[in-house]
Formats: sequence, structure tokens, C-alpha cells
Amino acid sequence: MKKIIFTSLLSLVLVKVLAQGPPITADKPIMLGGNSFTTKTLAEIRNNDRGTAVYVPVMLHYLPTSNSLIALHLPYLSYDLDDAGSGSTLADIKVQGKYQFFRKDGTGRTWRMVAKTIQTLPTGKELDLLELSTGEYQGYYGIVSGLETLKYGISTEIGYNWAPDGNQDELRAKFGVGLPLLKPQYPNKQVNLYFEYTSSWLTDRDWYQLLYAQGIQYALKTVTFDLAVQLPLIKDIPENRALNYSVFLGTRYTF
Amino acid sequence: MKIKAIIVLVAVVMVSAFAKAQKTMDTFEVQVDGLGCPFCAYGLEKKFKEFKGIKKVAIDIETGDFSFQYPSEKNLTMQAVVKQVEKAGYTPITSKITRADGTIEANEANTTELSAESVVVTQQVLVAGKCGMCEARIINAAGSIPGVTAAAWKQDQQMMKVTYDKSQVTLDGIQSEIARIGHDTKAHKATDEAYADLPGCCKYERLDQ
Repeated sequence: MKKIIFTSLLSLVLVKVLAQGPPITADKPIMLGGNSFTTKTLAEIRNNDRGTAVYVPVMLHYLPTSNSLIALHLPYLSYDLDDAGSGSTLADIKVQGKYQFFRKDGTGRTWRMVAKTIQTLPTGKELDLLELSTGEYQGYYGIVSGLETLKYGISTEIGYNWAPDGNQDELRAKFGVGLPLLKPQYPNKQVNLYFEYTSSWLTDRDWYQLLYAQGIQYALKTVTFDLAVQLPLIKDIPENRALNYSVFLGTRYTF
Repeated sequence: MKIKAIIVLVAVVMVSAFAKAQKTMDTFEVQVDGLGCPFCAYGLEKKFKEFKGIKKVAIDIETGDFSFQYPSEKNLTMQAVVKQVEKAGYTPITSKITRADGTIEANEANTTELSAESVVVTQQVLVAGKCGMCEARIINAAGSIPGVTAAAWKQDQQMMKVTYDKSQVTLDGIQSEIARIGHDTKAHKATDEAYADLPGCCKYERLDQ
């Protein structure tokens, strides 16, 4: 584990910084122009001692204005778990909303903040796969902020996930840094590295995990391809529920 | 001989048609703040694609220089371009239009020339606004007024400090121009249409007048 942290920090120091695209496991506060659509998917293969789940969402994002967003996530889940058997099913559908309430622009840089909510509908099976398929209603409320410059991108998020029975209540925080490997150019042609941390504390269960994701992204003008591997740094959680690894595979298309 | 004459005639027509087509495009140059990544540039271009007939779109993300050509018969205004940049979610700083007939319209700060008759004064005036985007719009508008040499606006005080040549412009005239872009001032209230055109984050509490 120390090697992973060391390698990540070393990469941060050594990479020649120029520009970046949207983060992979973290979120972003920038919205690309009003009255536009983005379709994307970010499949997750999650493994722990309990088994493996493959989560494939189809996400449709619409921006009514340049500072607001509504989104619908329709997820498909395939699972093989020791205590729940195996199968394929619709997972929890999510409806997302964002509103940008702060913006400070400069030449080649912008700093923005958005309020975000995710309403999780109980459409999935009760598999207790956190954030994937719980069969419970949940409401997430958070703040996303980001500083994007031509040399680097930093994104942060903090929020609280609320469920009626408290079982899914979670204080969630994310921090990500994006660095480019190619000179900034338009039309886009980018290869970006991402270093992203997720802190998750399930307050009712008193479970805590700190996760680190190393990601790489190939981005063209309207399309991106994303790959990230997420590993646990801290696992204060029952042994069979602690994450072994997650692999994220994604693509997005803006039109 | 006939064939040669026809070829020459066709060539002349084609050249003149090409030249005419070149001349009937206005050239727009806008300096845009907030382009923090190449995707931001795409968001800007995508919003301007709503202007049907737009050509030769070029964006330099390092400098924020954005340029394009647009048919002159559509008479696209500076105000419409500035608003479109704002609708894309970015901040316009300076803009310049070179019309097909050679006339130039500029919206750039500090182009005022002073003379021996100039009487330069600095005054403060109430201007309503809400955010950093308002600040950029107010300063940009004030700076583009002939006779104004410097302008600054403080969000917490709702006050604009403006330095201008009294022989070229009056404080009332400056306030009138600021109101025209959607911001209430002490002497002039913006029209409801101009206020409604402001982006959501700029919807300030209107002044009672």
C-alpha cells in the first residue's frame, strides 16, 4: 500500500502539468453550455470477499442552462455474492440535479462551485451493495467545487447521503487532481492522469473506508474514454465487506 | 475562340462570386475568461453553433482568444455575442467586430484619448450586481464608454468607482450605459428585458427608484 501512495505522489511531482478533462470517480462543477446533452457510462467492477458485482449505468445528462443540470442514471447490475447468490437485474435508478452558485473566471482558469443532489430510487434488489443496489430510497446532498486551469485541475466534493432508516446514511468526501500528458490544444486531443481519493463514513454502521483511484483518460473533442482502478487505503469495516478493488471503465459523448 | 471566351467569362464570374462571398462575412474576435480546459472551449463553440451560418471558429485556450465569421446580412450585434458567451457559461472580456465593409466596432477598455481640454475626475456611484460575472460585465461596459479611463466595482459595497473625462462623458451617461446592460444604477434603472437577460447567478435584488 505504501508503494501505491509513494508512486502516486511521485507521479504528481514528475508529470509535466498542462491541462485536463473531466474527472473519473470524482465529480466536476463545470457545465458545458446551456441546452446540451451528454450521454455517458461508467461501468464499475467491484470486488470484495463477499463476491463481485458488475454495475453498468446508462446516464443521460441535460443542461437546461449553463449553470444547471438534470440527469437520469439507468443502471444494470450483474452480481455473484456469497450471501445473495448470482443474477442480473435493474439496480437503483438515480436522478441527479446540480446548480452552479459560484463562478470566478480568469484567463485560462475557472473556479466554480455547485450544489448537488442525487435521489436514489428503490428500484434495485436489496443486495446491500452500497451506491449500486440497495432497494432503498436515499437522498444525497452535497457541494462540489473545482479549480480548472490549463496546468492542472482540482476537484472536491463533500456531502451527506440520507436514508429513512439510517442504514445508508453516509458522510462522503472526494478529492481529485487531474494532470495532462499532452500540450493543451483545441480541438481536444488529450491524455490525462487522475489521482482521486474517496472518504466514506457510514455513520449508522460506523464503517469507514478511504479509497484511492488511479485513472487515465483519453479525450477527444466530444468523446472521452476513461479507465480507473480503485483500491482501499484504510478499511475500518468488517473484513468481508471491505473493498478489494474496483475497476471503472467509462466513455462519454457530448452533443 | 468562343470556348476561350466562355472559359474566361466563367472564371471571372467565379472569382467575383468568391470575392463577394469573402466580403460578406463579418469577423468577430472575443477574449473570453474561464476557459480552464479544452472541454470548456468545446462548450463555447457548441453554444455558438446555435448561430446558423457561423464559419471559421477558432479558439486559443491559452489566451482565451475566440474568433469566428458570420454572414454580414444577419447583422449580428456585439451585445448578442457577449450574451451568447455568458449563456455558454463563460465571461467575455473584450470583443471586436470587423464588418464586411471594413468598419470596426470594439468593446475594449481604455481606448479613451485625453487632450488639453480634458477634465478627469473620479467618482463613485451605486451599481447593483451580485457576483464575479456581474463585476466583469459592469467593468467591461464602463470601460468601453468613450471618455472612461478606468472602472472598478466592488460586490460587497455595490459601488462602482469610475474615472472619466468630463469633457467627453457625464456620470449620468455612464449610468445609463450600465443600466442598458441590465444593472440598476442610482440614476437609471435597467429595463425588465435587460434584467431578464442576465444569467441566473447575476439576478441581483433590484433597486427601488
